[in-house]
Amino acid sequence: MGRPVRTQSEINEQTTLGAAYVRSLMRSQLRAGLAAFAVLAVVLGSLPVVFSLLPSDLSLWPAGPTLVWAVLGAAAYPFMIVIARWYVRRAERNERDFADLVE
Amino acid sequence: MNQAYAVAAVAVVVLATVLIGAYGLRISRTTSDFYVASRSVPPRLNAAAISGEYLSAASFLGVAGLVLAQGVDMLWYPVGYTAGYLVLLVFVAAPLRRSGAYTLPDFAEDRLESKRVRRVASAFVVGVGWLYLLPQLQGAGLTLGVVTGAPRWLGGALVAVVVTAAVAAGGMRSITFVQAFQYWLKLTALLVPAIFLVLAWQGDGAPRTTFDEPATFRERTKVTVEQTLRLNIKDPLGVAVHGRIDGVRHTGDKVALPPGPHRIDAGTVLEFAKGTAVPEATNGAYSSAGSRWSRPLSGSRDDHPLYASYGLIIATFLGTMGLPHVVVRFYTSPNGRAARRTTVVVLGLIGAFYLLPPVYGALGRLYAPELLLTGNTDAAVLVLPGKLFGGVGGDLLGALLAGGAFAAFLSTASGLTLSVAGVLTQDVLPSLGIRHFRLATCLAMAVPTAANAAVSNLPVADAVGLAFAVSASSFCPLLVLGIWWRGLTAAGALSGLLVGGGSALAAVAATISGRPQHGWPHALLAWPAVWSVPLGFLTMVLVSLATRAAIPASTGATMARLHLPEGAAGPVERVQGVGQ
Amino acid sequence: MIALCVLGTVAAAVALFAAGAAFGRLSARGGRAKDLGTPVERATFHTLHTASLAAPPLRAGLTEDTARKAARRLRSLLGTHALCLTDQASVLAWDGSGGHHRAQVMEQVGQVLENGRSQAFPVTCDDMDCQVRWAVVAPLTADNGALGTLAAFGSRESAVLVRATNEVARWVSVQLELAELDRSRTRLIEAEIRALRAQISPHFIFNSLAAIASFVRTDPERARELLLEFADFTRYSFRRHGDFTTLADELHSIQQYFSLVRARFGERLDVTLQIAPEVLPVALPFLCLQPLVENAVKHGLEDSVAKSRITISASDEGAEAVVVIEDNGVGMEPERLRQILRGEGGPSSGIGLCNVDERLRQVYGDDHGLVIETGVGAGMKVTARIPKYRAGVHSGPPLRRQPRAD
Repeated sequence: MGRPVRTQSEINEQTTLGAAYVRSLMRSQLRAGLAAFAVLAVVLGSLPVVFSLLPSDLSLWPAGPTLVWAVLGAAAYPFMIVIARWYVRRAERNERDFADLVE
Repeated sequence: MNQAYAVAAVAVVVLATVLIGAYGLRISRTTSDFYVASRSVPPRLNAAAISGEYLSAASFLGVAGLVLAQGVDMLWYPVGYTAGYLVLLVFVAAPLRRSGAYTLPDFAEDRLESKRVRRVASAFVVGVGWLYLLPQLQGAGLTLGVVTGAPRWLGGALVAVVVTAAVAAGGMRSITFVQAFQYWLKLTALLVPAIFLVLAWQGDGAPRTTFDEPATFRERTKVTVEQTLRLNIKDPLGVAVHGRIDGVRHTGDKVALPPGPHRIDAGTVLEFAKGTAVPEATNGAYSSAGSRWSRPLSGSRDDHPLYASYGLIIATFLGTMGLPHVVVRFYTSPNGRAARRTTVVVLGLIGAFYLLPPVYGALGRLYAPELLLTGNTDAAVLVLPGKLFGGVGGDLLGALLAGGAFAAFLSTASGLTLSVAGVLTQDVLPSLGIRHFRLATCLAMAVPTAANAAVSNLPVADAVGLAFAVSASSFCPLLVLGIWWRGLTAAGALSGLLVGGGSALAAVAATISGRPQHGWPHALLAWPAVWSVPLGFLTMVLVSLATRAAIPASTGATMARLHLPEGAAGPVERVQGVGQ
Repeated sequence: MIALCVLGTVAAAVALFAAGAAFGRLSARGGRAKDLGTPVERATFHTLHTASLAAPPLRAGLTEDTARKAARRLRSLLGTHALCLTDQASVLAWDGSGGHHRAQVMEQVGQVLENGRSQAFPVTCDDMDCQVRWAVVAPLTADNGALGTLAAFGSRESAVLVRATNEVARWVSVQLELAELDRSRTRLIEAEIRALRAQISPHFIFNSLAAIASFVRTDPERARELLLEFADFTRYSFRRHGDFTTLADELHSIQQYFSLVRARFGERLDVTLQIAPEVLPVALPFLCLQPLVENAVKHGLEDSVAKSRITISASDEGAEAVVVIEDNGVGMEPERLRQILRGEGGPSSGIGLCNVDERLRQVYGDDHGLVIETGVGAGMKVTARIPKYRAGVHSGPPLRRQPRAD
C-alpha cells in the first residue's frame, strides 16, 4: 500500500479534500447509472405508446402481432442483460479510475 | 390427472427443501478445508439463490394465467419483474451492500440516524411482505386444489405450516443453498414440460390461427362448474347441461342460451360441442379479452389500457428494490463489486426463466379454454400436460409442474416469512426480547393466512403487482435519494414514506375491497404507481429541503462508505506470501 | 624601448591591482550585507539558536533537573541579571545572581498561579551591590492549568523586560504542552501494547517460534510456511485501524492460529468447522473470537493428555449470526466462571473470556453477552449471538471514531 495512505486518510478523516474525492466518484457513478436507466426507460417505456399506434386492422400489418410477442416475450431480456453488462463494466472502470486517482 | 404422482412430487419437493435447509452446510470440515468453509458465496450461487427466492407463484403460475386470459399485454409483468433488477443494479446494488445494512429498516437507520424512520420503514416492510405472501398462499391453494381436488384453503394452510415450521425451527440455516436449488428446480419443472408441450403442439399441426380468434373449444369438452358462475353471453350458445342454469334443472338435455346474463349453479356439468366459442365468466376479475387477444392494449379488463400498462411498468421497474426478501440476499455478497456482478447473473437467470410462462399461456388458450369459463386461469400451467398428453407421460409432467409450483411457494414464502419475522422481532416486538423469533414467525404467517381465507378471488399476479406498487412508492424514493442525494433528512424520508407508500397502500386496500369498478377512479386505484411514486419522491425532496438544517451530521461519512470501492480506502488487503 | 615596456607593464599591473582591489572590496562589502545577515538578523539567529538549545530539556517536562538546564539558556535569551523557574510550590532553578531572593519570589508566585496573569514588582534588598531590584513573574501554563512560573530580574523597572519575559514564558508554555503530549502518547502506546499482550499471550508467541524453530532443520519448507502464517497472524492481530472486522477475516486469522498450534501439538488437536457462508460478511468487534478459540485450545490441550476436539460453528439465524465454540477439555467450576466474567478471575486465565464478553455487551447491549455452558470435566461451550447489522458497526475503515449519540 504505502503511497496511497495520504489521500486515503484525507478521505477517511473527511476533510473537504476527501469529500471532493467522494463527490466526484459519486457523480461519475450516478452518470453511468442514469445513462443505463435512460436507455431502459426510453426503449421499453416507449413501447406501450408505439403499440397503441399500430394499425388496428390486421390486414394492414399482418406481422405486427408476432413482432409484439417477440419483443415482449423474448427480445426484451437480452436487451436488458446487455445494458446491465455495459453498466457493470462502466461502474468498475470508474472505481478503478478512482483507485488510481487516490494512489 | 393422477393424484398419486402429483402428491409424491409435492412431498419430494417439501422434503428436499427441508433437508437441504437443515443439512446443506452442516457437513463437518477439518482445518485443512478451512478455505472451503470460510470462502464467501460465489456470485453465481448467490444469483441462483436470489432468483430462486424471487420467482414466486406469480411467475410460475400467474403470468401464464394472465396471458391466457388477457393476452400479450400481460407480458409486461415478466418484463417488469426483470427490469426491476436492472434498475436495482444501476442505482442500488453496490451501495446497499456497502452500507452493511441487512434489512431496509437497517438501511434507513444507518443513513438517516433516526429510529423513527426505522420504525416506519419496518411497518412498510411488514405490509409489503404480507401483501406478497397472500398470493403465494392463494397459489398454493389453487395448485393443491387442481392436483388433488382439496379445498382452496388447504393448500395455503399447508404451505403456511411447512414454512412456519421450517423457519421457526431454524431449518432455513443454509438458505442460500435451498434457494439456489429451488431456482434450478423451478426452471427444470417449467422447461421440460414446455419442450414436450411445444413438440406436441407441432405434432398437432402447430395451430395458431385461433390466436386471433375468440377462444374456442377444439373438441367436445365437458366442464364441471365448481363455484356458482355468472355468464354474460354475447352470441346465442348451445350447450348440453347436467345441473341447474338460471334456476332450471336440466339432465343432459341440450339448451340454447340467449344472449344476456346467466347463472350456473355449482356442481353443474356443461358439455360443449367442438368449435363452440368459450363464454367467459364475469364474477372473476376478468371480462372478455375479446377478439384481439394477441394485440396489445386492445381488450384487457381496464377501461384505460395505456395508463394501466404504465402503472404496471412503473410499479415493477421501481418496486423490486424495495422487496424485503430481495434486499436481504444481497448481504451475502462479500462486497459491492460482487453484489453488482451477482445482479447481472440474476438478470440472466430470471430472463431465461421468463421465456417459458408465455408459452404456457398461449398453449393454454388453445388447449384449455374452459379455464376462461371458470375463471381459473392460474391453473393453466398445471392442467396443460393432462390436456395434451394424458396417460402416464402427462401425469409425470403434471407432477413435475406441481412440484415446481410448490417450490415457488415454498421459496418465496420462506424468504418473505424470514424477512418479515426478522423485522417483527427487531422492531415491533422488541420488548419480548431477541429470543421470540418463533412467535414472530407465527405472527408473520398468521396474518396472510387469515387474509387468504377472507379474500379469495384476487388473481395471483395482480396481488403481487399491488405489493410492487406499495414498495415502489415507499422504498424506491428512500433508497434512491438516500444513496444519491446528500440533502435527504429524516423528516423528509419519514413524510415521503408515509405520503407515497401510504397513498399506494390506501389505493391497494380500496382495490382489494373492490370499491370503484369502472372508469378512471378504478384505473387510478388499481394502478397507483403512476401517481404515488412521483408523489413519494416529491414529498421526500420538498420536506428535506424545508428541513435542510437537520441533515444528519454523519452524511458525509455514510456517503463515503456507500460509494467508495472496497480496497481503495478499505482495510488493507492481506498480502499472501510475504517475503517472496 | 625596454623601459617603456617595463613602465607599461607596471602601469598595467597597478591598474589591474587597483581594479582588483576595488572589486574585491566592493564584492566583499556586498557579500557581507547579503549573505551573512544584518546585525538585526544575526541577533534573531542568536535568539533562535538559544531558544532551540533551551527546548530539549523543557520537552522532558518541568523538573528541577530540566529547569536548571533550561534556566541558563533562557537567561541568555532574555539577557537579564537573574532568572528563575518555579513549579507550584518551590523554586526549581535560579540562574544568575541574587539567589537570596528565593523566598521573596515565592511569595508572589502564589498570586500569579492563582489568577494566571503576570506580575511585576520591585525587590527590596539590603545588599547595595545586588543588581536584582525589580522582578517580572509570568505563569507557565499547559493544557491542565498553570504548572509553574518564570521570573526574570532586572536592575530597574523596564517595559522591555516585561514584554520579553511574557513572550519567553509563553514559548516555554508551548514546550511544556508538547511535553504533556509526548507523555500521553507514550502512555497510549503502552496501553496498546498492554492490550495486545492481553490478546496474544507471550507464551503463544514463544511456543510458536519454538515450534517453527524445530522444523527449520527437519523440514525447512514447512518452517518457512509456518513463519509466513505467523507473520500474517501477528500482522492481523497487531493491526491498528478499525474497531471492527468481518467474520471472514476473523476466521482466517483463527485458521492461521490453528496451523501454528498444530505445528506444536500435531494430531492431538482435532478441529471441526461448520460455517454458513451467509454470515461471512457480518461485521463484529475486532479479535472477539480468537481469544475464545485460544481459550478452548488451552482448556483442551494444556490441561489434559487426551485428544482434544474443538468445534467451531457459525450459523445464519435470520437477523443474527450465531457463533459457537465448543471444546471437550477440562471445563470449569461454574462459580469460578462467574468470578472470571465479573473480572475477578485473576491474571492467570480467562482474561480473554471476560474481555470479549465485555466488548460484546458494550457494542450490542447486555442481551448479547457470551453464553457459556460448562462444568468440571464437561468441556465448555461458548455461544456468541452477533446481530448482522447494528448502527455504527462497520467493518471498513474507522470513518467515525466517536460513537453516535442517538
